[in-house]
Amino acid sequence: MTFRTFATTCAALGLALGCSSRGACRGDYCGTLVFVNANNPKTLLPPVIDNTGARDIDEQIFLKLADIGMSENTTGDAGFVPELADRWEWDDPRTLVFHLDPRARWQDGVPVTANDVSFSFDAYRDPALGAAAQGALARIASVTVRDSATVVFRFRERYPTAFYDAVYQMWILPSHLLAQVPRTDWLTAPFGQHPVGDGPYRFVSWTPGQSLELAADSTFFLGRPHIRRLIWRFVSGAAAGVDQVVTGQADAIDFLGSPQNIALARKAPQLTLYPYRGSNYVYVELNLRANGDTATPHPIFGDRDVRRALTMALDRAGMATSVFGPYAKVPPGPMPQLWSIWDSTIRTIPYDTAGATRLLSARGWRPGPDGIRVKDGQRLSFEVIFPSTSALRQQYARLMQAEWKTVGVDAQIQPLDQNLLLDRLQAGRYDAVIQGFGADPTPASGILQHWVRGAPDRYSHYQNDDFDRLVTLANSGSVTTAQAAADWRSAMDILNADAPGIWLAAPDNVAAVSSRIAGVKIRPDSWWSQVWTWRIPADRLIDRDRAGR
Amino acid sequence: MRGTAAAAWLARRLAAAAAIVFAVVTLTFIVIHLAPGTPFLPGADRPVDPRLIAALTHRFGLDQPISTQYVRYLSRLVHGDFGYAFSQGVEVATALGAAVPNTLLLAGAALILDLAGGLLLGLMQAARARRTADIALGNATLFIYSVPTFWLGLVLVFVFSIWLRWLPPGGTTTPGLYESLPLLGRLADRFLHLALPACTLGVVGAAGTARYQRAALLETLGRDFIRTARAKGLTERRVLLVHALRNALLPFLTLLGLSLPFLLTGSVLIEYVFSWPGMGRLATDAVLARDHSLVTAVAIIASALVVLGSLLADVLYAVADPRIRRAS
Repeated sequence: MTFRTFATTCAALGLALGCSSRGACRGDYCGTLVFVNANNPKTLLPPVIDNTGARDIDEQIFLKLADIGMSENTTGDAGFVPELADRWEWDDPRTLVFHLDPRARWQDGVPVTANDVSFSFDAYRDPALGAAAQGALARIASVTVRDSATVVFRFRERYPTAFYDAVYQMWILPSHLLAQVPRTDWLTAPFGQHPVGDGPYRFVSWTPGQSLELAADSTFFLGRPHIRRLIWRFVSGAAAGVDQVVTGQADAIDFLGSPQNIALARKAPQLTLYPYRGSNYVYVELNLRANGDTATPHPIFGDRDVRRALTMALDRAGMATSVFGPYAKVPPGPMPQLWSIWDSTIRTIPYDTAGATRLLSARGWRPGPDGIRVKDGQRLSFEVIFPSTSALRQQYARLMQAEWKTVGVDAQIQPLDQNLLLDRLQAGRYDAVIQGFGADPTPASGILQHWVRGAPDRYSHYQNDDFDRLVTLANSGSVTTAQAAADWRSAMDILNADAPGIWLAAPDNVAAVSSRIAGVKIRPDSWWSQVWTWRIPADRLIDRDRAGR
Repeated sequence: MRGTAAAAWLARRLAAAAAIVFAVVTLTFIVIHLAPGTPFLPGADRPVDPRLIAALTHRFGLDQPISTQYVRYLSRLVHGDFGYAFSQGVEVATALGAAVPNTLLLAGAALILDLAGGLLLGLMQAARARRTADIALGNATLFIYSVPTFWLGLVLVFVFSIWLRWLPPGGTTTPGLYESLPLLGRLADRFLHLALPACTLGVVGAAGTARYQRAALLETLGRDFIRTARAKGLTERRVLLVHALRNALLPFLTLLGLSLPFLLTGSVLIEYVFSWPGMGRLATDAVLARDHSLVTAVAIIASALVVLGSLLADVLYAVADPRIRRAS
């Protein structure tokens, strides 16, 4: 007897005793979809959300002016799908005009207006909120209201991803509900616990750390969602989430992770697996400055040839297979598979242990009595740190340690609490760190955040004027799309040659969704964004699909 | 006179309990504040301007000297204000209000399994002392007692949830279905979700209790009054269950007090393994997020529960045993 049979038997017994189930549902608009997520949101107020768990939920509650399409194109406006704006046009190369859909309403009945768009832009740009999109919106000079249904975006310059920045980075917020709330209070504002949006689903309830429920808005102006209820169950880790979907307690998980989890989910008869291009990558960031002294070059990583030798010594393809099975590729730079600049012709450093040995010897690092190389009394020894919560990075650390040892390099691996790790990165008190980065669809985001001069997370202290110039060029409007792609490729060639980091893996993502759901489409950058178009055919409904509050 | 003495004893114990809780609060507050990091740590996929972190740190007074923060915290605490739980996005009281009942339910169920199972096994072993069954049960309980609870939890999930599909692998209820179930269905649903985490905690505890109970029973069975009972012609079952067990139950009360800390600390890992939304999981998340207010509040609740459990065991012991009462 399965758990579900047992629960159903108990329910039947209860009914026999005179109780009754409430809110039974039949027809085309039934269905309950249970997601699992290990990222417990702190708030649902879009500019101040801080994890993908909150983003997945906000995706159902709030709308953008337009959204990126399934093609994930970020250049120009090709493929973008209208949401709050039903049309747009360019007045000139730096002026973009959006016309709001007159049917758009907030869930409290108030119409969505151009004021809401202008208010949202102001909020996202406010340093007091620290919105993640703040930097990406810096190239938009102003957002002004032409009339209640028309809003005008003026850009500081013309560039290929201007339309993307204007629409992708901001969910539009209800100014009539938020204008009176001081920005300094937004992080803890009650609105973040009971949001009112304009999207396909409306907020119902939330028990922090446990679950959250949304209900379909039957009056949603872009079309009534078929699945009536969405429930998020917050679990304590990825493995617990996989257990939930495998046993049928939940219906969908966005990322199965390890090959073992994928194999387990594949065996569950009620699940269908959906592979999609990954939006994250794993890499080693090398500190080019001395550990704890950002004014002095690092005694090991300050030497470009040594960095190249350390990369050559690693069988990155073998390691990716060992950790991810067939579900990852070695990236040709710091990039996920999602990015359009992924290009196998980018020049990368090959796996060549003999070459690594030669290069290290040529730079004066000779084998010492214990096999570890030494130069001027200094051992070729450094510390590799990573978050203690990441089993995957721990696995990588051990593999790298073993491979480096064969060429006379001593890597001391040190798992650290995330807080402590960040503290050390910001202070420059580290040698090498294994990082993971979840990127948005445009290469500008991750590259500008990590590798160019003045980047907020440039923990490596890498600096190359040629690289910066090419990135700026690729990101400017003075070039064609083809030229921009060529500039990105050249920039990556420079970065790879300088080897300030070692690009380990760009995993494929594999989601698991209950087979009773029809019309499943997963957009790689935001996996649950299309949920409102999914449906459950009447003959596949189960008890929880018909159940209701 | 006797009542006055008992009241004075109780007052002394309560004062000691309050002092212990105060010491735990102080120590926890200092340790968590000295740990590097900030409760405003950016998410892994979202960079945050260090200036914003500095502004938030200032706004919530976390840049003040630790002594100032401590005094401010205590003054808020006496007004029942535990502060704001940054890691949960709600007031600490709200987060605890949702988590504490879940932990008490889990710990209560595990305690019942622990004591009932331990008592039964101890009895069985004592009744067959030094025979094959006793030796087999002794080895089995020793094995289970030495098993880490989180490992046992993972094994049980694999066997009963993934493989057999009999029991849910985590959570407190079936999402999407629980609210619409009739009363009996809800109770069954709760029970099924409680089964694995409570068994994991309770079985390991019962193995320890059984060994303790066996020893207590064997010691009692060697006493004069047992010999007298047997000489009077009472059946062995009556000797064991009525005369020996009643006397051997006294140490049980001590075990009750000792079990509470074990259950509360054990539940930290078990709640994590089973995604059980209780104090343990809350504490884990809070420590990782450097959520000072929440960590300190969890420490207060946990230490208060442990101290009160211990006090309750002492009171029950004194009530049950006149010798202890007179000595007190």
